[in-house]
Amino acid sequence: MLGTTFVVILALSAGWYFLLRRRAMAAAGPRLADLHSRPSYHGFYAALGSFLAGTAVLLVVGIGWGLWNDMQLQNQIGQALPESSAIERQLVLSDAKAVADGALPSRSGELRSAVAERHATLETARQWGTAALALAAALAFGLLAWRRSDRDFRARNRTERMVTIVLWATAAIAVLTTLGIVLSLIFETANFFSNIGWRIDKFLFGTTWSPLSGVQSGQMNPDKVGAVPLFAGTFLITLIAMIVAVPIGLMAAIYLADFASPRTRSVVKPMLEILAGIPTVVYGFFAAITVAPFIRQSGEALGISVASESALAAGVVMGIMIIPFISSLSDDVINAVPQSLRDGSYGLGATKAETIRQVVLPSALPGIVSAVLLGVSRAVGETMIVVMAAGQGANLTLNPLEAVTTVTVQIVMLITGDTEASTAAGPAFTLGFTLFCITLLMNIIALRIVRRYRELYD
Amino acid sequence: MNDPRQISAQTEKALDSNDIKIRARDVQVYYGDNHAIKDVDVDILDKTVTAFIGPSGCGKSTFLRCINRMNDTIDIARIEGEILLDGQDIYDPSIDPVQLRAKVGMVFQKPNPFPKSIYDNIAYGPRIHGLARNRAELDEIVEKSLRRGAIWDEVKDRLDAPGTSLSGGQQQRLCIARAVATEPEVLLMDEPCSALDPIATAQVEELIDELRARYSVVIVTHSMQQAARVSQRTAFFHLGNLVEYGLTSDIFTNPRDSRTESYITGRIG
Repeated sequence: MLGTTFVVILALSAGWYFLLRRRAMAAAGPRLADLHSRPSYHGFYAALGSFLAGTAVLLVVGIGWGLWNDMQLQNQIGQALPESSAIERQLVLSDAKAVADGALPSRSGELRSAVAERHATLETARQWGTAALALAAALAFGLLAWRRSDRDFRARNRTERMVTIVLWATAAIAVLTTLGIVLSLIFETANFFSNIGWRIDKFLFGTTWSPLSGVQSGQMNPDKVGAVPLFAGTFLITLIAMIVAVPIGLMAAIYLADFASPRTRSVVKPMLEILAGIPTVVYGFFAAITVAPFIRQSGEALGISVASESALAAGVVMGIMIIPFISSLSDDVINAVPQSLRDGSYGLGATKAETIRQVVLPSALPGIVSAVLLGVSRAVGETMIVVMAAGQGANLTLNPLEAVTTVTVQIVMLITGDTEASTAAGPAFTLGFTLFCITLLMNIIALRIVRRYRELYD
Repeated sequence: MNDPRQISAQTEKALDSNDIKIRARDVQVYYGDNHAIKDVDVDILDKTVTAFIGPSGCGKSTFLRCINRMNDTIDIARIEGEILLDGQDIYDPSIDPVQLRAKVGMVFQKPNPFPKSIYDNIAYGPRIHGLARNRAELDEIVEKSLRRGAIWDEVKDRLDAPGTSLSGGQQQRLCIARAVATEPEVLLMDEPCSALDPIATAQVEELIDELRARYSVVIVTHSMQQAARVSQRTAFFHLGNLVEYGLTSDIFTNPRDSRTESYITGRIG
């Protein structure tokens, strides 16, 4: 019903477009240039306005009316079952809605049928009412535009203002979504901390991670929510990844920027960037099925015992995944070092190596640092590779040959595990929030460095 | 129309008594298929300022860059003919362009201080070439170079400040001091004042005149007034040819070639 209304509103605005355009042309008289705005602006003004008005009414009235209906139904249930809890009432309500929609309720009964009947009535009223109001709004805006449209009507300025508002609204959606995610993270984190009696120190500095062990008793054990092993694991794997990615990526970038011929560069650079396009899940099973056994066998050949899931395997593959980020970004910043600086150095009798080491790299260093920090952010937040290749046990170790677990792996385990999501969400959200803070901090540092870099040149 | 080789033969006779620093013979430069420099013969004297003038694209900067083999860094550039520095062919395979550039310093159109401190900018060349045995000697070289660059008094209290924090004119004098620090014998300047205001230009011109006492200076300029002010010899380039070369006063008051006359009176270029 409301979907149909939306389509009708769309058709209506299209109609307004052609009507208003024709009207503007008629109003222009013999000289079309006498119009303040081009006829299409008149049309666009009416079309966009009536579409926005109709859609806005559809959304606001539709949702508002729905809430209002629910409140009335809740009242009815409350009067029938004065002793019931909020969850019970909610259950009755959703059952009643299921009955009304012809789906299967969890239980049936007289109250449910009565509520379902009432719901059906209210819902019909809501749908028809909303549709009527929305169409009226779309129609009214078009009529308004029709009445105002004449030779001097400033349709262009009004359309531009309307478009500005639409653009602003889309930007606001992105910002508000971020804000919403952060707020929900903070809220759930606070919830979790209150569940462990605000022993934040236990979370930040404890060394035993088994958050769900006390869940049956309804209370989490503050002694078992120590996140240190997880952050240690994340740190270890990130470190291994960066040890692999930074030298390879950086040297590849230097080669691309200063040594490769344009033809080689035009082949090699896209090839490197293909690495960035491989889905991380592919890297994950590559790590688990190819790299981890290889490391294990090599270890055995040398007489070293290596766990079948090791931090080394995950770290190395993650490093390979990060190479293109570092090489591509570093290549860009090295290329951005002005040729005049290189000429200046060559002109003083410096060799290519001296020029790169002492002039080009120091000049590009801030950019390179921010590329590396971006790589670190990727490594810290990476999930699939470590889920498959790093292990699940919360070992506190710095030995890269043992299995470790990371923050992201534990979040996956908590959310996809058998424990009810609402219980497991607490620790998961808290880990996520901590991870978010770390990545945010690193991005801020990276941005700062990049900004300083820009000031240095001009 | 005069044959450029004939002109240089004449000038050579007149300059016999002077010390020839750079002798170029039959130099051709190609950028890909583009023949940028044609049959250039020129003798550049020691302890003299030589100005290269000519309209844009005439090849004067290209020829300048041949003298310290900066064109080697451009893949498509190809050079024929011979350029002798103190009688030694600089394009001889036994010559290392890196060592050549230590002897033939260069100052560029746009000031290009490295994003390092003022001190490190000057010390860069001496460090690379191992001119100083210890810190004290390096300090000495830095001070001497900054004095020769006529910028010591302005920066002596802030040698640790970044070179990029100086004004445009100061940056250019810093770059000249940087070039001087490696003890070159020839100083090439590619329009060193084109990015500077008149006051900074006057300072740099004064500096160029002082540098003449020690070095052979070759300056490319678009400003004929500048060429007349700072140089003793002037070479006029047009469409890749060296049209006329001689005493600056002769070129500006009594040009032999009609093209030179047209250029200095503003009819071409």
